[in-house]
Amino acid sequence: MSEVVQPASLALAVSRPKTVPFDWRRAVPLLLAAPLLIYMLVFYALPVVAMLLRSVNDPTWTLSHYATLFDDVVFQKTFWITINTSVTVTLGCLILGYPVAMGLVRSRSMAPFILVIILLPFWTSVLVRSYAWMVLLGRHGLVNEALLALGMIERPIRILNTPLATQIAMIHILLPYMILPIANALRQIDPSLIRAASGLGATPFMTFRQVILPLSMSGVAAGTLLTFVLALGFYITPAMVGGPRDITLSMLIAQQVDQLNWAYAATLSAVLLATALALLAVARKLPGVGNAFKTSMR
Amino acid sequence: MSKKTIGRRTTLGLIGAGLVAAPFIRPSYGQAAWPEQTTVPDILKGSGEVRIATFGGLMQEVQQKAYFEPFEKITGIKVRAFPGSDATKIKAMVDTGNVEWDMAQLSRGSIMNLQKRGDYFEKIDYDIVDPGVEAQYRFEYGLEMLVWAQVLAYRTDAFKGAVPSGWADFWDTKKFPGDRAMFGTNSGGWPEMEFALMAAGVPADKLYPIDIDKALASYSKIKKDVFKWWDTGAVPIQLLTDREVTMTTVWNGRMAALQAAGVPAAVSWNQGLLKRDAWGIPKGAKNKVNAMKFAAYSTMAIPQARVCLGIPYGSVNAKSNEYIPAERLAVLPSAPDIKKQLVNYNYDWWIDNREAVIPKFNKWLLS
Repeated sequence: MSEVVQPASLALAVSRPKTVPFDWRRAVPLLLAAPLLIYMLVFYALPVVAMLLRSVNDPTWTLSHYATLFDDVVFQKTFWITINTSVTVTLGCLILGYPVAMGLVRSRSMAPFILVIILLPFWTSVLVRSYAWMVLLGRHGLVNEALLALGMIERPIRILNTPLATQIAMIHILLPYMILPIANALRQIDPSLIRAASGLGATPFMTFRQVILPLSMSGVAAGTLLTFVLALGFYITPAMVGGPRDITLSMLIAQQVDQLNWAYAATLSAVLLATALALLAVARKLPGVGNAFKTSMR
Repeated sequence: MSKKTIGRRTTLGLIGAGLVAAPFIRPSYGQAAWPEQTTVPDILKGSGEVRIATFGGLMQEVQQKAYFEPFEKITGIKVRAFPGSDATKIKAMVDTGNVEWDMAQLSRGSIMNLQKRGDYFEKIDYDIVDPGVEAQYRFEYGLEMLVWAQVLAYRTDAFKGAVPSGWADFWDTKKFPGDRAMFGTNSGGWPEMEFALMAAGVPADKLYPIDIDKALASYSKIKKDVFKWWDTGAVPIQLLTDREVTMTTVWNGRMAALQAAGVPAAVSWNQGLLKRDAWGIPKGAKNKVNAMKFAAYSTMAIPQARVCLGIPYGSVNAKSNEYIPAERLAVLPSAPDIKKQLVNYNYDWWIDNREAVIPKFNKWLLS
């Protein structure tokens, strides 16, 4: 156990000015986090570093793998498809998720029921849910059969294996990540503020527009960020239900690993990681989002 | 990150294969008595174990009965089989010095493509290999042990009785309407450039060296009708079953299960590609001597014949045919009447050119 404790306390000791006497109580949070930090270091940080190194030193030290990306049409298209899909899915989640979050917070009697509806699929594996969408969206699946029976279409339409199918399935999978942070923010709004707004003559819409929405922005920002970053790395769903040309960056990485182009795969992974990190960095500067980080720290 | 990606893809493939194939896996063994190998040369006997990576699924079930179990009994070497063979994993194993497999089922192409990047495979000890194994199936770093075909398959209820034959028909969506599926480049796949060329009228004996641009130009004519670029063998079978496509390319062994399940689908052998799987022994494998013995045993006439009886794939041993009933022989890709319709896949060309083809294909696909 002593080896586990050492690095953390050492780091703390180094970071402290020497004049202040060492206070063990301040080390407690770090000590509590130490096992996880060490676990993450060994099983996450080191492999990621090893992978990133591969992008610059295979076969020798070089930045050529990054340089080629500038005129690599396949990378650029794939990157664009990935961003485009992520934006669409995040917007879809926001539009569908916000009202649900409001319902979840507002309605006391329905809340447990809504929560179960949100969380049940959350506990099912992505793979199973993607298969379910294949069954639903197929040419002879439930959606097509229903549309045919209603006379809305004459022949089965192609939904499965289109970008739309990817978006539908991804929105379904990522919705809880949008709903829960928003609901959390909404729950923290002081109800007396809403009462005060209506007491001062605001219509329900004005109350929403001027009180609830601004105060829930931290949740919206957190949910948007979480959804978008998760969407960036999606692999199974687009591979299973997506269109023939829906190649996301993750799919390209997997393909290049299989094709034994590991340096190229590592370069693509680095770009994906950098994109996610850059988004986080930019997002933290935005008003509201900073609050979201603070809220989660509390 | 990369490790995780492999895991996901493999899981996807395995579960996919399981889910899709499970309802209609009815191996054809048990219909007639299989030939038994009663003796082996002493040199094949031994002790300990051999760890073998396979492609899993029905194929591994058949392999279990065809040669894993008899090998254990007759040689005293225990076989441990693992589904999910993959050249990428062998690269990782050898690179990190943690070789978990003594032998893996791969293609000559994947073995030689990896071998090009370093020393990843042991040389085969041909002194103990059965003389019945034809020369074309032998190469330095692997021993081919299974003959199969990548062919055209179609729904028999889709074209009002018209029967497609060859790639010109596959490309003809007026005469044979409906969506298509073809083998893509995910999961280390190699696009079916040969089919595209034959659709454009290139004769079967003039395919290699492949004119990449000509093949892609031909592909362009069918692009909008290809609904799915499949990556594992279970996918086209599922697409045919669910009527998502009317025509697709398939690995022929999978079709037997589909037909046994009563799905109205058939194979057109004409202009299909004759391919092979091989045993490769990862460099530094702990039980490489046992692996070599197993490779030699499994390519003997009787173990090969037993595989042919379990799944409609062909043998690499010329003497196997003596142990296979005529009506079974007639449905194998190695049957003379079928084989003459197939084109020999040129692994050598692909080993030299895959790296040039894949980026061009990707670019074409996304354009």
